[in-house]
Amino acid sequence: MLSLSSVTKRYGDVTALDRLSVNVPDDSYVSLLGASGSGKTTLLRVIAGFEEPDGGKVIYDGHRLDGVAPHRRGIGFVFQNFALFPHLSVADNVAFGLRYREEEPVTDPSELKARVADAIRLVGLEGLEARKVTAISGGQRQRVALARTLVTEPRFVLLDEPLGALDANLRERMCDELRAIRERLKVTFLHVTGSETEALLMGDVVAVLSAGSIAQVGPASSLFALPKSADVARHLNAYNVLSGRVVKGGFEGAGARFALPGKQAASDGAPIEVALRFDRISVRPAGATAADPAGEAAIRARFIASEFTGASVLSFFRLEDGTLIQVVAHLSGPAPQAFTKDELYELSFNPQDVIPFIERAA
Amino acid sequence: MEARALKPVLGVYCAAFILFLYGPMIILAILSFQGPGGGPQFPIIEWSTYWYQHLLGMTPPGRISRLPIGDSLLRSLTLALMTTVVSTVLGVITAQGFRARFKASGIVFYLVILGMIVPGVLVGLGMALLTNMLGIDRSWWGTAFVLHVVYTFPFAFLVMLAIFNRFDRSVEEASLSLGVSPVQTFRRVTFPMIFPGVLSAMLFSFTLSYDEFSRTLFTSGRDLTLPLTIYGTFSVEIYPNIFAFGVLTTLFSFTLLLIYALLMLRAVRSAQSFKGQEEAE
Repeated sequence: MLSLSSVTKRYGDVTALDRLSVNVPDDSYVSLLGASGSGKTTLLRVIAGFEEPDGGKVIYDGHRLDGVAPHRRGIGFVFQNFALFPHLSVADNVAFGLRYREEEPVTDPSELKARVADAIRLVGLEGLEARKVTAISGGQRQRVALARTLVTEPRFVLLDEPLGALDANLRERMCDELRAIRERLKVTFLHVTGSETEALLMGDVVAVLSAGSIAQVGPASSLFALPKSADVARHLNAYNVLSGRVVKGGFEGAGARFALPGKQAASDGAPIEVALRFDRISVRPAGATAADPAGEAAIRARFIASEFTGASVLSFFRLEDGTLIQVVAHLSGPAPQAFTKDELYELSFNPQDVIPFIERAA
Repeated sequence: MEARALKPVLGVYCAAFILFLYGPMIILAILSFQGPGGGPQFPIIEWSTYWYQHLLGMTPPGRISRLPIGDSLLRSLTLALMTTVVSTVLGVITAQGFRARFKASGIVFYLVILGMIVPGVLVGLGMALLTNMLGIDRSWWGTAFVLHVVYTFPFAFLVMLAIFNRFDRSVEEASLSLGVSPVQTFRRVTFPMIFPGVLSAMLFSFTLSYDEFSRTLFTSGRDLTLPLTIYGTFSVEIYPNIFAFGVLTTLFSFTLLLIYALLMLRAVRSAQSFKGQEEAE
């Protein structure tokens, strides 16, 4: 198990990692979700040893890793830009680690050949062994990078946005393959990404990195259903976050007022943020029906624009106080309404679906 | 302005410029084919390869003494080779050091660069005075060699600095993450990738050292290098055999350039890639 405790890393005045602690269990796929600038690449570089932390400990199976030279850590690293050796062929790239590593280099040519062939088969690159790495496609380079790392049999592999350089089509295929390969080799993958879909899809466990520390860790489904803070909700790109105040156990702000689910301990006037899923909102023209259905809350907002994304339509509304609200309508349901730009609409939702974050805002 | 009108003008300008660059060399080449009775000027009395034969000692001994270049040519070549090796190694090491920001790196940078900025005559003279004071004998392989390195090392350093500036560190980190030691990483990854730059640094060092004059003048001691020997013959009388030698040494330089170009082509072809990877980001 890899565990980081209170790891801190500063660059001048900027704190990239702020007393970050996290445990990564063996034989698991952990994805680390973070916006750009959240310190996710720094975190990987600290684990790999390319950067030393200013404080805290990195421990792997009871041994301190910080302070150990990167080539003695036994941790694989797959780079975002692949970082293949441009002067070598595909096979030589894959053979590189086995051939030249400090500990137990493979000197027997037939063993080397067999292991390289295995790795190349694992990632499905048969037939390209003799090619220059410059003469293959992006997806193939990604596979070479993966094979090059996996052939040295690290027990722990860091992947720095490994799919970022691939197009959408290929990304989905590589996702499945990464999972399958990991399960076969029983290694731990720590996959860093800025894409919430990728993080949720890939990780057995998802960790959300925000402002240099871990905001929440948990299985993908529970993390998605119940974010612990407004920050996590924002990262998931599926929640609208409203800020306001607690008034009589309910929420007031952004031109809306509604009762909050459960009992709220916060006193009146305490600041609060609430998250509301994009797909739990329905839209109707303002003033069409005066009477709200029982228990429904509603906010008035102006329509800005819609985006057609294939299986769904994403519509943008702006509240009176300027907050942007996104609404998803799945096309499998009733035909989506057409909205008029700059018209007022009423966005209604069930207050029971709202997730309040009191501590966070206070 | 219309490109059509501009093109011939630029063409003429370019031709004039090239003539200006190579004119002296062409004149030298023509005059080297002067006949035995002719002098180092036009007109050509008779076309012949007499002075080439004279240079190589294939003519019967006569009134005009042979150019005493045999030994000094060997000395200059040896010196240039020594300088090339030392300056390039130093240049690569120093530039590698500059990849990590360190304290006072600015000062160190200018200290290195100083070697190519300070006037050669002054450095030569200073070295001569210093060795006099310390009672050290001056020689082409000692005092002059040191100054050649001081002079060419900054060039090698600057070339390598430019190369490392565009170097993607993640490739080295990839090697480290595979368990390969820093020394092996340099040998197996860094060096092959910076090799074109190393070639350029070597070429700079060699050519600069090979025809270095002012620094060598005061520091080479009794045994002269090639530029000094040739300069020495001017003080007696000039014969076309100097031109013949000029042609031969120019041919030698072009051969070096050709080898450089071929090596470069190979290196660039095998390392092309780099661009492709950056695009993929």
